[in-house]
Amino acid sequence: MSEIAQKVTNIIVDKLGVEESEVKPEASFTNDLGADSLDTVELIMEFEKEFDIQIPDDQAEQIATVGQAISYLEANAK
Amino acid sequence: MAKELLKGKKGIIFGALDENSIAWKTALQAHAEGAEIVLTNAPVALRMGKINELAEKIGAKVIPADATSNEDLEKLITESMEILGGKLDFILHSIGMSPNVRKGKDYGDLNHDWMHKTLDISAMSFHRLLQTAEKLDAMKEWGSILALSYIAAQRTFPDYSDMANAKALLESIARSYGYRFAKKSKVRVNTISQSPTMTTAGTGVTGFDVFFDYADKMSPLGNASGESCADYIIMMFSDYTRMVTMQNLMHDGGFSSSGITEEIVEELTKGK
Repeated sequence: MSEIAQKVTNIIVDKLGVEESEVKPEASFTNDLGADSLDTVELIMEFEKEFDIQIPDDQAEQIATVGQAISYLEANAK
Repeated sequence: MAKELLKGKKGIIFGALDENSIAWKTALQAHAEGAEIVLTNAPVALRMGKINELAEKIGAKVIPADATSNEDLEKLITESMEILGGKLDFILHSIGMSPNVRKGKDYGDLNHDWMHKTLDISAMSFHRLLQTAEKLDAMKEWGSILALSYIAAQRTFPDYSDMANAKALLESIARSYGYRFAKKSKVRVNTISQSPTMTTAGTGVTGFDVFFDYADKMSPLGNASGESCADYIIMMFSDYTRMVTMQNLMHDGGFSSSGITEEIVEELTKGK
């Protein structure tokens, strides 16, 4: 697992209160990991803080799974 | 029905997430009644909701503030007084959140870090707000400060979980601080115990639909809507309620005084 993937996983485990084993790339935040609307916004804001970037709303809406979050951050993190 | 009940009054409204929020409806009404308002919410709620739409409609400034941070509240109140040009006449605290409720944790299996968050965000934030307002001498004489509660503070509604405990604390803080603020500067502090309301926060509770229907059938007037709650808040911000303080005010269509209603009898008779 890349450093970014590990950090993303840690944030998800912490924010959503799920087991690390559940945080698979194909896992959907809302359908598989029990995130509600507030969680999804909180996750995006945590990613922004951790990786020191701004994720525009229209791009944030495209991030629905763990894998999508990791690829977005791998491509855009400083 | 603008009557200028709040003409010349200035205040802060917390918790307007979207058009279903009681805070949103209150802001619209307060504006129509002549008040000048600063809107605030937690940064995450600002991003999730559409407060800027409301701000534009009523020409209000939005100041982000985390209600669990004394520093943020200090900044919010100081800046609000600058923007509004003087001390405040009213504040509406319309915020609450429980991670345990959101995650469907059983009351016998709560995550206690989350419970801390529930109490901090939903109740202690009210004390922080009151204390900050007092320290900054931000309230005008006869000002009115309100928080929104729910009857689960006093009677058990199993699915309401630790939010019930938070609301009980909230109501208690209103009494304790109401005494202090009345003595110090004739400021009144109350909570309004509102019917279940179809808001983002309300519908986060498991089985909310059933909850809502039950309360509606148990209330001779039916559930009080978010709009009617906003009406009540306007009255409580007005000069017509100056001697009301340290109260938990039932705004529930008669729910809290009803033992049973014909509608419930009818429901329970079905199929017998």
